[in-house]
Amino acid sequence: MKSLIKLEITRALRNRKFLFFSVIYPSVIFLLVSNQTGTVDGTGLSIAKYVMVSMASFGALTAVLMGNSERIAKERENGWVRQLRLTPLPGRGYVLAKTASAAVVSLPSIVVVFIVAAVVKDVRLDAWQWLALTGAIWAGSLVFAALGVAIGYLASGDAVRPITMIIYFGLSILGGLWFPSSTFPTWLQDIAKWLPTHAYAALGQAIEQSQSPHAKDVTLLVVYFALFAGGAAWLYRKDTLKA
Amino acid sequence: MGAMTTTAATTTPVVGFDQVSKSYGSVRAVDGLSLALHAGETVALLGPNGAGKSTTLDLLLGLKQADTGKVEVFGTSPREAIVAGRVGAMLQSGGLMDEVTVGELVKLACDLHPKPYKVGDVIARAGIGQIADRKVNKLSGGQAQRVRFALATAGDSDLIVLDEPTTGMDVSARQAFWATMREQADQGRTVLFATHYLEEADAIADRVLVLHRGRLLADGTSAEIKAKAGARRIAFDLDGEIDEAPIRSLPFLTSVDVSGQTIRIQSTDADATVHALYGLGVYPRNLEVAGLGLEQAFVAITEAEEAKQS
Repeated sequence: MKSLIKLEITRALRNRKFLFFSVIYPSVIFLLVSNQTGTVDGTGLSIAKYVMVSMASFGALTAVLMGNSERIAKERENGWVRQLRLTPLPGRGYVLAKTASAAVVSLPSIVVVFIVAAVVKDVRLDAWQWLALTGAIWAGSLVFAALGVAIGYLASGDAVRPITMIIYFGLSILGGLWFPSSTFPTWLQDIAKWLPTHAYAALGQAIEQSQSPHAKDVTLLVVYFALFAGGAAWLYRKDTLKA
Repeated sequence: MGAMTTTAATTTPVVGFDQVSKSYGSVRAVDGLSLALHAGETVALLGPNGAGKSTTLDLLLGLKQADTGKVEVFGTSPREAIVAGRVGAMLQSGGLMDEVTVGELVKLACDLHPKPYKVGDVIARAGIGQIADRKVNKLSGGQAQRVRFALATAGDSDLIVLDEPTTGMDVSARQAFWATMREQADQGRTVLFATHYLEEADAIADRVLVLHRGRLLADGTSAEIKAKAGARRIAFDLDGEIDEAPIRSLPFLTSVDVSGQTIRIQSTDADATVHALYGLGVYPRNLEVAGLGLEQAFVAITEAEEAKQS
């Protein structure tokens, strides 16, 4: 189990394209967007601070969602999942290893955005806020890791990439990771506030405002996590019986 | 108490199928299959494509569940046997992890096995030392097969299961592969492999199970199976009125068909049959002797079996 996690991590860190999109790319967008001065309506946060949390969340989302869904779908198809079932590795070990390695890659994508924000854009926060932000965004990414696993067991072949992309961009944009959802028309805001990505970014914003995360956001994330993890488990069992 | 356990252990078959059936929709892939493999045997599961070989192995390895009947490996469920490290398997459909090197993958297999061998030994035995640093997705078909073999033999398993292991290998790789396999068998392991090559079954196995349409058609030594499935077809024309009785009494015949002036017979020993044919004092024209394809041989055996039952 440990050795599979280690190998999954080695493999993820070796994939330059994947590392670029999950670790470098969010920081690049951060630098492009955070050039404006002023505050974001309704939050009292500077644009740099607001975008920092959005991009850290976006980076973590990329790391856990993109890698897992496509790999799982592909490895189901090419028979690696079957091969692993001929080893003493428990069935859930494969999914756990995938999730653990995604979490390892998502951590640098969060921290790199923070470092760029602090060094280049002079974002200043208390020490506890930095730590709490890192912890909250990292833990929150588990919700999307579960979603990635579920997609990997749901879709197959050529379908998995477009499906992942639609969900990924849909959640990122509608959840307000790219533009503050306060710029959306009201009807869209009503939808956006129920999305997991919106609640996810709201965790970090609350910490930046020196508040504890809102109960509504935490509850929403917990419910989504239960939904995605339950769905992934159900799809996994279905796949095992079929293979 | 201890003595009783020992007795039980020696009589428990390595693999036991009891009236096992498995269907996909309306297709019966495995149909009431019963068999027992014993420790130390090297067994070939022989049959044409679609005979149910892969499904049988999937059931044996717990990758599929039987609709009815019972599958046991070392007296336990297939999964329990695998968790105990007693089974090493190489599947046709078994994929490999991409983007890692062959060496890393073999190390993973060793780490996962409860009774692992040293990584270097596994690599050397599978003959993949030269490609150990290569990425898995850059391998040829034959190389990938050898990596799969390395994964199947990463630890000290008591049963090794191989599904058409030499697919994609050239002749020399094939020979090298079976030499390695024989070493495994010589160390007292039970080896079960599926193949559709009669020659492979003949050269390697000391017991051959013939599977056709999901049923066990024959179970015997390779010599016995070869006699059954190695039949040849002899055809010739005779002039004038044909006296069938002496032809039907030719040695080693399995079937005779006379239509017009043409006579078609099947024989398990064509040399002896043709020799005896000339001994009848007839003058056969257009004499042809041809090997029966394995598939046709199976059909012939099936028909013979069905004729016996009715």
